[in-house]
Amino acid sequence: MKEKPLQILLVEDNAGDALLLREMFNKEKPGSFELTHLLRMSDAVVHLAKGGVDIILLDMGLPDGHGLDTVRRAHEAAPGVPLIVLTGLDDETLAAEAMRGGAQDYLIKGQIENRALPRVLRHAIERHRMQTETDVIRTNQLQFKDEFLSHVSHELRSPLTAIYGFVTILLDGLAGELNSEQHELLEDVLRNTKQLKSMISDLLEVTRIQEGKLLIELRCTAVSDAINYTVNTLQVAAISKGIELSSDIDSRLPLVCADPTRLRQILIILVENAIKFTPANGLVNVRARISKKNPHLLVLEVSDSGCGISPDVTERIFERLFQAADPALAGRQGLGLGLHICKELVSRQGGEIWANSSLGQGSVFSFTLPIFSLPSLIAPGLREGKRADHPITLVVIEIGSRTGWLSDEARTDHSHGVRDLLRRCLHSDLDILLPNMDFAGSAELFFIVAFTDAIGGEAITKRIRGQFEGSDYFQQGDMMFSTFYKSPEPIKRNAIESTQDYLEKVAAKIQQLMNQETSSRTVENGK
Amino acid sequence: MANKKILIVEDDPDIRKGMSVRLKASGYDTFVASDVVTSLIMARKHAPDLIILDLGLPAGDGFLVIERLKIIPALALIPIIIVSGRTGLPNQELAQEAGVKAFLQKPVDNAELLAVIRKTLGGPVELEKPEYLSKPARRFVL
Repeated sequence: MKEKPLQILLVEDNAGDALLLREMFNKEKPGSFELTHLLRMSDAVVHLAKGGVDIILLDMGLPDGHGLDTVRRAHEAAPGVPLIVLTGLDDETLAAEAMRGGAQDYLIKGQIENRALPRVLRHAIERHRMQTETDVIRTNQLQFKDEFLSHVSHELRSPLTAIYGFVTILLDGLAGELNSEQHELLEDVLRNTKQLKSMISDLLEVTRIQEGKLLIELRCTAVSDAINYTVNTLQVAAISKGIELSSDIDSRLPLVCADPTRLRQILIILVENAIKFTPANGLVNVRARISKKNPHLLVLEVSDSGCGISPDVTERIFERLFQAADPALAGRQGLGLGLHICKELVSRQGGEIWANSSLGQGSVFSFTLPIFSLPSLIAPGLREGKRADHPITLVVIEIGSRTGWLSDEARTDHSHGVRDLLRRCLHSDLDILLPNMDFAGSAELFFIVAFTDAIGGEAITKRIRGQFEGSDYFQQGDMMFSTFYKSPEPIKRNAIESTQDYLEKVAAKIQQLMNQETSSRTVENGK
Repeated sequence: MANKKILIVEDDPDIRKGMSVRLKASGYDTFVASDVVTSLIMARKHAPDLIILDLGLPAGDGFLVIERLKIIPALALIPIIIVSGRTGLPNQELAQEAGVKAFLQKPVDNAELLAVIRKTLGGPVELEKPEYLSKPARRFVL
């Protein structure tokens, strides 16, 4: 088989150097190489964009390029093409850096042996091919691992469901009466089954994080609800270990912008951990306060009087699969995924998580969540000066189910669907879809702040209605759907007022409208 | 009064057995099937008051069972509860469209399953209202 000639791109501004190289190539077998010579980086980028180049020979001293930057640009223009840099005698350090920057090799001008050139080129190409192959294999293996993990966790659920079924049948005495010892042993089986179940859900959760399928729906949320829920849920576990589990919540705390289900999940993981690492007669406390450093953040803290963590470990404790090194200290503690899940959940909600602790001194796990603030939500729409006197319209969309939702999950899914549809109906830089508020009875209200007048408001409402009526999402008879808009008096901006004052005024107006809306729903729902 | 009859369609023999024991203990007569064809034969033979249906079945899935039941007038109105490991909106929507009474996620809690069955069969309802239905709308404190 006749080999195709190797396409070489030489980028070199020095005519003498170029000529030398060209002569070397001319000594090779005719038809084995084809050399394209360009003088400038800008021309090279254009040429590379057309494709077809097998290898680049790049001078690092081009008039329109600068050393390593030339390498970077060549790489960007043709990421899959191997590259050899040409340097002067005293530039070997730079050449080494170029190789770290992605070049396959370097040649020193004036030191190139005649017969060595084709071999260097072939080596560079081969090395590049192998590297690419390794990268592909690694990516595939990682993907395979994630898919495998996801599959395994799904498959583990079935036998576990069966075990749970049989154990509870025995425990409930459906297969005959148990003596107290049998009962006790079966309780142990059930406890372990539940532990296994939670490990499998952790695995599934991590797989979802890895696949980017973790759903987070931010809404206006009261942290006190989540804290109360967590303390109530885990009180039994705490009491059975002789631990006092308490919470301090100030009812005047502001609401946060968070996913309530995810918030509960984070708190459950942190409090469960605290209970696990705290000996009998210890204390576990959950509290929330406004951040001293940043008044826009709420800090939630879970503290315990447990065994504590050494400082070098607190840094790494949120890494995936991290576990304390001393098993005696930790006991049997699951897969070590809990804190990693927490970290992902917190950061996806715009917060941070950290731990303060020292051995034997107990630990405090803290995380932040952004405080729900209408002025900061509508600020992007008001940033431009010309909109300062613009009228504002509030568009309200109400979605509900006539018979009540099939399940909590179905409701959440619908809520996601609605938000996606709404986002498609909006001009992202003009209209602002507020995060979901609290539930209004069995319906859910979505608020859009639009910087437009009544006519614009009507147009948006129409557009949304059209989208919803056209989607199969809401073809079902069970779904309720309504839209309407309200345009308050335009709020005039006084020249003396600061942007912040104006923002707060606008926010107050919108809030007033929203309050009217929800309270009228509340009356309609008879609650 | 005769016991209510429940057909359990589930391909995992252990889950099937466990559910059957549990439902019998709660005073229901149970029949089981593990695939689409058997479930239709059993439905025809016993005319159950309720069908508990898994979605992942060999040779066709739970939705195929629903489809086939719908074309047999005598069986078309039997209430169906899905108990499945499948998640996601598409399945839930299909189920809702097909007139399924409830969609429960595996592993299902015993008390929840029994409550949904009682509700579907028109017995006394003990299932608590979901939080979001019972909670009044709250005025915003921003």
